[in-house]
Amino acid sequence: MVIVLNPKAFKLPRVDKEKFITLIRYGLDYNRDAGTFSIKSYNNIEKAIETVSAILGDQVVFQQMCTRCGKSFSCSTCNYNELCTTKNLPFTCVCPQCLRDRKNFEEYLTKF
Amino acid sequence: MLQQSSLLWVEKYRPKKIEDIIGNDEAKASFVEWLKNKRHTKKAVLLFGPPGTGKTTLVNAAAREFNFTIIEMNASDTRSEKAVNAVAKPATSYRALDAFSGDSNKTSGNMLFLDEVDGIAGNEDRGGVSAIIEIIEKSLVPLILAANDPDIDKLRPLKKDCMLIRFHQVRIPLIISLLQKICLLEHVKAEFEGLERIAQNCRGDVRSAINDLQNLSERNHTLTLQDTTLLSSRNRDISMDETLRQYFSAKSIAEVSSLLSYSSVEYDDFLLSVSDNLPRRYIDADELAKAYNYISIADVYRGRIGIENWHLLKYFFNELAQAAAVNPKSYKPFEFITPPIRIITLFWTKGKRTMLNAICSKIGSQCHVSVEVAKENIVPFVKMLLVKNRNHSLVAWFKFTPEEVDFITKLGRF
Repeated sequence: MVIVLNPKAFKLPRVDKEKFITLIRYGLDYNRDAGTFSIKSYNNIEKAIETVSAILGDQVVFQQMCTRCGKSFSCSTCNYNELCTTKNLPFTCVCPQCLRDRKNFEEYLTKF
Repeated sequence: MLQQSSLLWVEKYRPKKIEDIIGNDEAKASFVEWLKNKRHTKKAVLLFGPPGTGKTTLVNAAAREFNFTIIEMNASDTRSEKAVNAVAKPATSYRALDAFSGDSNKTSGNMLFLDEVDGIAGNEDRGGVSAIIEIIEKSLVPLILAANDPDIDKLRPLKKDCMLIRFHQVRIPLIISLLQKICLLEHVKAEFEGLERIAQNCRGDVRSAINDLQNLSERNHTLTLQDTTLLSSRNRDISMDETLRQYFSAKSIAEVSSLLSYSSVEYDDFLLSVSDNLPRRYIDADELAKAYNYISIADVYRGRIGIENWHLLKYFFNELAQAAAVNPKSYKPFEFITPPIRIITLFWTKGKRTMLNAICSKIGSQCHVSVEVAKENIVPFVKMLLVKNRNHSLVAWFKFTPEEVDFITKLGRF
């Protein structure tokens, strides 16, 4: 199973002290009030995700947000999935529909 | 003044604002946060990641937005302890001169930017890293370092004093999106598949994607998938030998231009190699003269490019391409001279030059003249005297060894 996470706030089951320290060292932040984790630093993002996957026991992916239309989409729908070095990581991108749509692109440009 | 049309697109469309830089939003946010609020906890920041991901552009855009004056040292400067201290140290404590001009409230002071710090290497840059560490400790201004590979041993001491911000390869859809924008602004009619191919081929390097687009589409204002077939050679580190082979066997100027923009050979060595090999390529005297004429113009452009006028690179490439394409039909395979004769000569004469310099510095220290003056004005007379009498009193005065006396007496033209 694949678990889709929101990079700004996601919950994890209670972990022991060592695991918690590892998560913080890899760049996660913990919000005591809400009991949620978020990604603070992307320097060790791959290792952070590996650790989160190990805790959850499933593959973890992040939902992608299109910079043009603002809609969420998954990396699995992207044609360049195989070539992407940041696949499933929480970075900005353009969804396949917006990329192909020239009219949409010209409208997008007029905003700037 | 350079016209807008003759600018490299990579310069023309270099983002002026932080928000215009594509990709790496998290890195941009961390950098801005550090610049605004976190400088008291970590005095320096190390931006690291693959080339063409926006590290230098981000620093320049941030300096513009927050009104900093950038003092920059990059790979083209010598970054020894002495050089770093001479340039960077004053910058970390003095205010920029424009702070004293009429609108002093507009500037935030200096920002020190050391680009490509992983390139600090060898004897020339000796002591550079420790000088930078000292500057980090004492600096009163933002200190920014950038590197492609932060994991090399010599940067380890630097890393613990810096806040690290990683840049990732820019995603293909974002690059395609940027290329589409440039095509629209440059009135280039581009096939989507062509742009897709460029973006896939550049491996997240936005700079090379824009350069590829300009190379392939500037002439005809069109870009088809067919045009991008030459791109396959990118990332295949083409050696000097391979570049020369393809250069001399090229059938058109366009083919040579593409080849040169993809090859990673040193331009100076390449120019010398082409010059050495031209007589083997062109048997006909007129063709050879024409080719040398183009090479001489290319050499002028290379000199003018120096270390900063890279917008002239296309003219350099163009002249080199013309030299290769004087008569494509006359090409017959031949054995190349590589490396260039001048470099081979320097290699073989290194021992002799070292000996001569040692002799001249002995003469210089006794006669209070420079090594060059000793070489030009004194060595010929010393030679005349020693040829007549090997045990001349000068030998003891200059403290010459028997090998040095031998060397001087056998010295020919130098």
